[in-house]
Amino acid sequence: MRLRLTAVLLLAVGSGMLAASSARAQQPVGQVAADVNKKLVKLFGAGGFKGLPSYGTGILVSPKGYVLTVNNHILSSTNLRVHLYDGRVYAAKLVSREPEFDLAIVKIENDVDFLPHYDVDKAAASPIGEAGDMVFAHSNAFQIATRDEPMSIQRGVIAAYTDLRGRRGVFDAPFNGEVYFIDTVANNPGAAGGALTNRKGDLLGIIGRELKNTLTDTWINYAVPIQSKVDLVRDQKNEKVNIPLFIRESIEGKYKEGDKKKKEDKGGYHGIVLVANAVSATPPYVEEVMPESPAAKAGLKPDDLIVYVDGNLVPSIRMFRELMKTYGPEDPAIRMEVQRGNKLESMTLKLTQQPKSK
Amino acid sequence: MNLLPLRKHLMRILIALSLLAGFVAGSARAQNDVLKSQADRVAVIEKAKPSVVAIFAKGGRGGGTGVLISDDGYALTNFHVVQPTGPTMECGLPNGVLYDAVLVGLDKVGDVALIKLLPKKEGDQFPTATMGDSDTVHEGDWSIAMGNPFLLATDFTPTVTFGLVSGVHRYQYPAGVLLEYTDCIQIDTSINPGNSGGPLFNMKGELIGINGRGSFDKRSRINSGVGYAISINQIKNFMGHLKAGIDTDHASLGALVTTQTEGTGLGKMMVTSILEDSDVARRGLDFDDELVSFGGRMVTSVNHYKNVLGLYPRGWRVPLEYRNEKGRKEILARLMGVQRKVVEEEKTKVQDGDPKKLVAIKNLVPQGPAAKLYEAKSGFANYYFNKIEKARLLASMKKNGDFAPVGGAWTMQGNVRLKKLNTDSKTTLTIDEKKSDDGKNSEPYIKLSIEAFDYDLYPLKAGQDAGALKKPEFSGGLLPAMYVWHRLMTQGEAGFSEFLHGGVEPFYPPVPQGEKDKSFAERRVDCEVINSRHGPFLTKWFFGQKDGKLLGFELRTQDNEDPCEVYFGDYRPVEGRMMPHRMQATYADGHYGTFQFANFTLAATTK
Repeated sequence: MRLRLTAVLLLAVGSGMLAASSARAQQPVGQVAADVNKKLVKLFGAGGFKGLPSYGTGILVSPKGYVLTVNNHILSSTNLRVHLYDGRVYAAKLVSREPEFDLAIVKIENDVDFLPHYDVDKAAASPIGEAGDMVFAHSNAFQIATRDEPMSIQRGVIAAYTDLRGRRGVFDAPFNGEVYFIDTVANNPGAAGGALTNRKGDLLGIIGRELKNTLTDTWINYAVPIQSKVDLVRDQKNEKVNIPLFIRESIEGKYKEGDKKKKEDKGGYHGIVLVANAVSATPPYVEEVMPESPAAKAGLKPDDLIVYVDGNLVPSIRMFRELMKTYGPEDPAIRMEVQRGNKLESMTLKLTQQPKSK
Repeated sequence: MNLLPLRKHLMRILIALSLLAGFVAGSARAQNDVLKSQADRVAVIEKAKPSVVAIFAKGGRGGGTGVLISDDGYALTNFHVVQPTGPTMECGLPNGVLYDAVLVGLDKVGDVALIKLLPKKEGDQFPTATMGDSDTVHEGDWSIAMGNPFLLATDFTPTVTFGLVSGVHRYQYPAGVLLEYTDCIQIDTSINPGNSGGPLFNMKGELIGINGRGSFDKRSRINSGVGYAISINQIKNFMGHLKAGIDTDHASLGALVTTQTEGTGLGKMMVTSILEDSDVARRGLDFDDELVSFGGRMVTSVNHYKNVLGLYPRGWRVPLEYRNEKGRKEILARLMGVQRKVVEEEKTKVQDGDPKKLVAIKNLVPQGPAAKLYEAKSGFANYYFNKIEKARLLASMKKNGDFAPVGGAWTMQGNVRLKKLNTDSKTTLTIDEKKSDDGKNSEPYIKLSIEAFDYDLYPLKAGQDAGALKKPEFSGGLLPAMYVWHRLMTQGEAGFSEFLHGGVEPFYPPVPQGEKDKSFAERRVDCEVINSRHGPFLTKWFFGQKDGKLLGFELRTQDNEDPCEVYFGDYRPVEGRMMPHRMQATYADGHYGTFQFANFTLAATTK
């Protein structure tokens, strides 16, 4: 009797293993792509000039046609249109935007219901992806698809999960939090607002804009994690806002975007006078060093060519000025490399308050 | 001592053990799966690699990639790869050997070229890629690209890249009218300059496409994660034309079709304008009709429609289904061309900012041993190969009988069932010559008798009105058709002022009377084609690909008019020569009649 029970139990355990292993068998990538595609929309709006595409991608976050996308120029159109996976075309309108996320919510104007969509609450409650994870980017990059044509799927790996923020002027990042950097060229024209998913099609993040590092001339491919939170000041109160809250309040029609943060010039004083900024990329040659100034103390001399500031190549006066705005007296000394004659000299520059005008 | 706890213990241990075993087995299995898929991948690469060709222009003017598709050295590449090389080029194989090669055929709109590598020794065989079926490729499939990016490989060993199929049935706009990528395969598999013309393989190592372009926009012309391969099934449609050395053209419908969005949000494909002299207009398609399917595929967007259109060479007949208030109708649309003559001179820019000018290939002089396999002629990429294909086809045709000795009068007797008549009528057809009125020259004379009615024609007589050449009424010109047919059978190429291999086209023999009707797809037979001209008669001849048997032909006296269509069947020997005992004639949308011949008299050639 007992032995038989054991056998039955073993059998149960065995078949359990079997079930588990068959559940582990992966869906084909094409099936994942088709499932995700149903939850995405193609957006068409403003643009079409100066390298700005007039098309983009969005993620359905409610059965009634609310769409999460990137807060970019295509939304500033009175003729915003949405193409669903099955070929239906609808007019849409902007509901709300949050520049700190660089995200926006758009709504299909017709009465629609039962649309396939992502449960963002659930997605946001999942753990963050890790470097090395295989991911898929789903988007309508290059406006390849219209109407019922499926969007593109690309395969990649999370290369890093880290701060997107670059120094202002080096590349002007539209989002200030941590992002997924991916090794595949996903951030193409029109891809912004697309979905970054895992192998199972679960939503990990929203594909960001095209972003170029003007110093190295390289393009960066990133996605904003669905778990992101931003610090906002709303109704004079400091608040941490996450994406599910942004969506929920947008659907309820009561989302208020955060107060604009002042993007101040930290305005440290260095005492360097550069040559006249004659052409668009005038090299930062030193014309004069103010006596007693931080630059004089650092040992900078007229005719020096400033090459690196804090490890960043500064090929032009404009770039130098942009970069210097981000340092203030409270920051530690800045390392600089200058070319003097044929030699590269290193020095450290400690900024001070702007001197009082006499 | 109680046995019970021990049992319990034992059971727990057993369960734990079985769980552990399962887990270990599972992870070992996972690891084995990875190793196996890796080994499979390596095997596929090893199998496919020998067919990859590194193409170089003589004198280092550029290059690209190609892929061998037959053991006698035919290889596919892009038009934009051979465009800077000219009609001759050098090709390196992964075995390290450099071969001379010559251009065979071109598809400039589709960005495809067929070249032929010259074996070092007559009869040497080349490694070839296995042809795949690109209609079985799906989004999310894995793929392997091979080629010569940045012309890296000085030892001709291809670079292998691996990636995902990002989309299928993609449409990419042309630059001007050339380099239009229709129904193409989108990949994130890395392709770069130099990969152009190279193969895209599926994970069975079968050739599914030819890599040719990418989307670049602001970025420089390197992999942007969005590359495109021309689907191999599209190329298969053009293969007959390419092998025949033709500078092929793509198709247009002769109608403008645009999407109109309905209140439901769904789109309809509507005909918004139509050319009066297009075949589709003659078949009944009209302004405001809705296009339902084309080439057997549903069309719901402009991209779908352009994808289908891009699959076919000019002149092909393709089923098209449309709908209007009178209902649904399926027709066979005879496709028009897209390239005008000016294209040769047109300086177009490749989309996405490639500054290369598209210069005519013939401006470049052929060089080396391959030069003797090149012959320039307007309308051809390399006329030499048209002559080769023509000679092969005529030899194959001759196996059905040599008709040169029976070049005299032909008389054929039997029955005919005319359209709408439910009874058979006695008929006699005579293809003869008659002395002209002055008695000096003899001139061709055709006579068809159906019961008491006689129809006759001197097909070459000058000054006849166009209507005479359409005799009998409702046949579209069966009498002159019988004249050119006799001429082809007995005189061959010599009987025509123009006689060119026209590649491969689909042919749709009608179902014999009394048999169950079939769809166009079921009726379709792909035939080798000869286009000929003799006097005022333009004829397109259709030959069975296997046996070179003449399955039928179309005769017209000018472009853009409905031809008289003749279909042959029931071939049986007559004095050792295969003769069609059944002949069906159709014109426009109607059936003229079905002839069943019983008696043939084929007179000997007179000096």
